[in-house]
Amino acid sequence: MTIMSQPPAAAGGGGGSAAGALYDVIELILDRGLVIDVFVRVSIVGIELLTIDARVVVASIDTYLRFAEACGRLDLTGGRQPVGLPAIVGQITENSAERRVRGALTGAGRAIADTIQDIVTPDGRD
Amino acid sequence: MASYVYCFTHAEHPLALDSLCGVGAEESALRAVRHEGLAAVVSDAPEGLRPKRRDLVAHETVLETLGAAGTVVPLRFGTVAPDDDAVAAELTRGAHRYADLLTRLADHVERNVKGAHQEDALLADLLTGNPELRARNEALRAAGGGSQSERAAFGERVSLAVEQRRVRDAAYVVAALRPFAQLDRHAPPVEGCFVNVSFLIPSGAQDDFDAVAAQLRTAMDGYAELRVSGALPPYSFVDAVEANV
Repeated sequence: MTIMSQPPAAAGGGGGSAAGALYDVIELILDRGLVIDVFVRVSIVGIELLTIDARVVVASIDTYLRFAEACGRLDLTGGRQPVGLPAIVGQITENSAERRVRGALTGAGRAIADTIQDIVTPDGRD
Repeated sequence: MASYVYCFTHAEHPLALDSLCGVGAEESALRAVRHEGLAAVVSDAPEGLRPKRRDLVAHETVLETLGAAGTVVPLRFGTVAPDDDAVAAELTRGAHRYADLLTRLADHVERNVKGAHQEDALLADLLTGNPELRARNEALRAAGGGSQSERAAFGERVSLAVEQRRVRDAAYVVAALRPFAQLDRHAPPVEGCFVNVSFLIPSGAQDDFDAVAAQLRTAMDGYAELRVSGALPPYSFVDAVEANV
C-alpha cells in the first residue's frame, strides 16, 4: 500500500502538531467535534480502550496496594524539599485578573466530562 | 459513493485542498461541497474505514491546516454522508445554525492541556505534608511491609489523599489559565492525567495563554508534567458555544 506523506500545516497558522502530538489529542478527534444526526459514524468498536474513568483506577484494591508499595520505597530521609504547588499561584492569578479577556460567552462551557467511550487504534499499520 | 465529511466552513474560505490528503489507505483527494454560502470539505469515504493512526492524522491535518486559514466547524472523526447531495442538503437544513457557529468560533482556537503527576514526587509530597500518613508508612516499613490488609488500608488512605490532590491541582491549572479563555471544557478523562481540559482562546490571547502555561510548567517541574496541544480546531466547543445562544 501507499503510505501518504502528510503536508506540513500552513505556515504561520499555529498548526503543525498533527502528527507529532496526535496521541495527546486522540480523544478530542474521536469524542469531540460536531455530530450530524443524519450522517453515520464509522464503527470504533473492537479497538483498544484509551481513556478511562480515573476514579475507577484510583479506587481499587490493586491501586491501594500499589500506592502502599510505592510509599514504602520512598526515601523521605534526605531532607527533601516538599514540591507541591508553587508560590507563583498568587502571581498568576493577579496577572490573569489584569489581562482578563473573557467575553460574553464566559461560563457557558462548564460541561462535565462525558462518560468514557473513547477507543482508538494504537497503531496505524494495516 | 459515500462522502467522508471533515468540516464546514464559509464558502469564502480559500480552501487550498490540493496539498491535502483525505482518510483511507489510498490517497484520496479533497473537494468542497458549496451551498447556501457555506462549504463542506469532503472526500470519498473509503470502505472499511477504522480509526487507524494514519486516518486520525489525516483527519486532524485537514482540520488544522484549514483551521489555520479560516474558521472551521470540525466534525467528529468518522462522519460519513451517503453522497455529496446529502451533504448539500445538510448545509441547507442547518444553514442558519452553521453560519452562526462559524461566527461564534471566528478568530478562536482550542488549546488542550493535560497534566500528569510524577507519582513518586506526589507521594513524597503527600507523606511529607501529612505526619500521620508518614508515621504509618514508617511503621509498615519497620514491620517489613505489614500484612496485605494493613497495606491495603494504608494504600486506601494514600489513594484518598491522591484523589484530593488531583482535584486540587486540576482546579489550580484551570484557574490559572481560565482568564485567557473565552470558554473552557473538561475533555474526556485520560489515563494518568489529573486534568484534561480544553480552552477556547481568542487568537490574540494565544501568546498570553502560552506564557502562563509555560510558567505553570516550570513551576510544576519535578512534581507534574503539563502538556499543551494546539492551536487545534475548536473540537470541544461546537456544542458549548451553541448552549450560550
